[in-house]
Amino acid sequence: MAQSAAAVPAGYPKASKAVKFFFYSSIFWLLLSMVMGLVVALKSVNPDFLTGSRFLQQYLSYGRLRPVHVNTAAIGWMSTAFFGMVYYGVPALCKTRIRSEGLALFTAWYWNLNYAGGAISILMGYQTGVEYGEMPILFDIGVVINVVLIFINLFLTVKNREEKVLYVSLWYWLGSVMFLAIVYLIGNTPAEWLPSGGVQEAFYYFYMHNIIGLWLTVVGVGTIYYLLPKLTQRPIYSHKLSLIGFWTIAAFYTWNGPHHLINGAIPVWLMKAGIIPSLLLLIPVWAVLANVIGTMKGVWYRVSQSVPLKFLMTGALFYGLACIQGPFQALMGPHAILHFTYWTVGHAHMPLFGGFSLVLFAAVYYVLPRLVYRHIYSTALMNWHFWCSVIGFIIFGFAMWTAGIIQGFQWMDGAQLGAAFVEVMESLHIFLISRAIGGSLMFLGQIIFAWNVYRTVTAGQQIAADDPMFVSR
Amino acid sequence: MANQAEKSPGVLLIGAFVIVLIGVIGTVILPFYDESMVTPTKSAELKNYPADSAEARGRQVYIREGCNYCHSQMVRPVKADSKLGPISQPGDYYYDKPILIMTQRTGPDLTWVGTRYSAEWQHQHLLNPQKIGGAGSIMPKYTYLSQQDRDDLVAYLLSLKPAPESTDGTAK
Repeated sequence: MAQSAAAVPAGYPKASKAVKFFFYSSIFWLLLSMVMGLVVALKSVNPDFLTGSRFLQQYLSYGRLRPVHVNTAAIGWMSTAFFGMVYYGVPALCKTRIRSEGLALFTAWYWNLNYAGGAISILMGYQTGVEYGEMPILFDIGVVINVVLIFINLFLTVKNREEKVLYVSLWYWLGSVMFLAIVYLIGNTPAEWLPSGGVQEAFYYFYMHNIIGLWLTVVGVGTIYYLLPKLTQRPIYSHKLSLIGFWTIAAFYTWNGPHHLINGAIPVWLMKAGIIPSLLLLIPVWAVLANVIGTMKGVWYRVSQSVPLKFLMTGALFYGLACIQGPFQALMGPHAILHFTYWTVGHAHMPLFGGFSLVLFAAVYYVLPRLVYRHIYSTALMNWHFWCSVIGFIIFGFAMWTAGIIQGFQWMDGAQLGAAFVEVMESLHIFLISRAIGGSLMFLGQIIFAWNVYRTVTAGQQIAADDPMFVSR
Repeated sequence: MANQAEKSPGVLLIGAFVIVLIGVIGTVILPFYDESMVTPTKSAELKNYPADSAEARGRQVYIREGCNYCHSQMVRPVKADSKLGPISQPGDYYYDKPILIMTQRTGPDLTWVGTRYSAEWQHQHLLNPQKIGGAGSIMPKYTYLSQQDRDDLVAYLLSLKPAPESTDGTAK
């Protein structure tokens, strides 16, 4: 069901400072994450890159930069931008104001300062050693405080809404912020508090999977459901299907942690508990895709007219592909060949960059004009952003997947140690170069994005406050 | 088509919380009750380093420098791991805080690296991996580590050995 374009209370739309803060800062983190990604890609081609002084050697070493790259992408860029999206979208769907703009602005500041502190501590050498959970506990506490405050603000907004109907995006968004709090608390439990390494396996691999599965996926799917009717001017194909998707995501994603340890040092029952729900994941994924395809039926031509819609469709496509690849990798056979290889790197970038970063680009292009009362500065630049990102990612992804398959089979042939291992490394050189080229294109796309956003805010064509585009927000 | 419950965010969130909780119980809480997950093996005892020993400090250097992003610490009963030594058991990680299994093997697995190289080799390799390991190695040179840090790190690497009883690799 679409949101009705009924009369909105006076004073709308109100450009929210908090939403702007979240969006602008997220783009800063996006660029930073891209720079660091490119540096680690180049260090993989030439290990002596950027080691000119002792300072560079120490603080920009591969082992410190890589976790900061990952955190800056997942927490700095994506989480920050999604907070901007929900702070905009929740009041819009509730036809009311955010409960407390002051609290929203406070969380925007605190969230960003907190992450900056966390990232710097990792570079300083204070990382915890838990993947995705590298930030020291001081900053973990900051994350949880922020998430709880954001949740309260959003929940009270929904509670006091003017619009009776609870559109499905609100389900996904509220759910996702709650899931983030749960997942983050579990994943950042200090190792000292847990009785054994085996139990840590359960905690940390639950976290590693679900920071993506229960937070970024759920908030991202909610965003797809928000933008799709707006960009196509049509109602969602099936409300029921979107609800089925919500409950099956919550039910199946949660169980997927152990599939990262298949064939590994965990009991067989736990592997099964991870593998079966991984296959069942195909249900929520197809619920989303069927809904997208159903909504688009008859209006696919609009993809050629709207760059944000093009981003959204491509994002949904890559999300779907990532979730076909995921269950495949979770089978014991493919896992035995592909796990620990570069394949994983390609897979990790598919939902995060190819999928939900593209959804976020669509979100920024849709929301920004409604925040700053200006049209996007340049459609041509939006198109450049699109093609650089997509082509760059495809080069990146296929380089990694091919390299991973080669690695996996070479290891099976015995090249697991010493000189034989290094020989395989040498044969992969060309793929690491290809990854750096693909990554450079992705980075170029984001520079274009940032420039276009900057020009929109400063020099975009102005829109009158009574323009029809503000009516439905 | 919307019924009343569908309009209540409270009901919705409680429902979602319960469903996620079931998954948390299944994959995060139940492992507490599996003997194999909470019983240390003999190899684990070898990694139970006294506080402030060279090995314990070296493990911190390993984490601080992010060695784990390229080196896994888990041997699986699969063909790709056939030459890596005894298969890892859940109890092997009993004293690891935190576990350093990780998800990448850009460099070789280090679960039992202590059985393979001498201290002298490790020092030389850390200082110049390309010279010692092979020109194609993409490992950084750790010339910036202090002597103390490098000694500790090598002590840690050399300690990564299976307990004598389980060296036949038939466990599991």
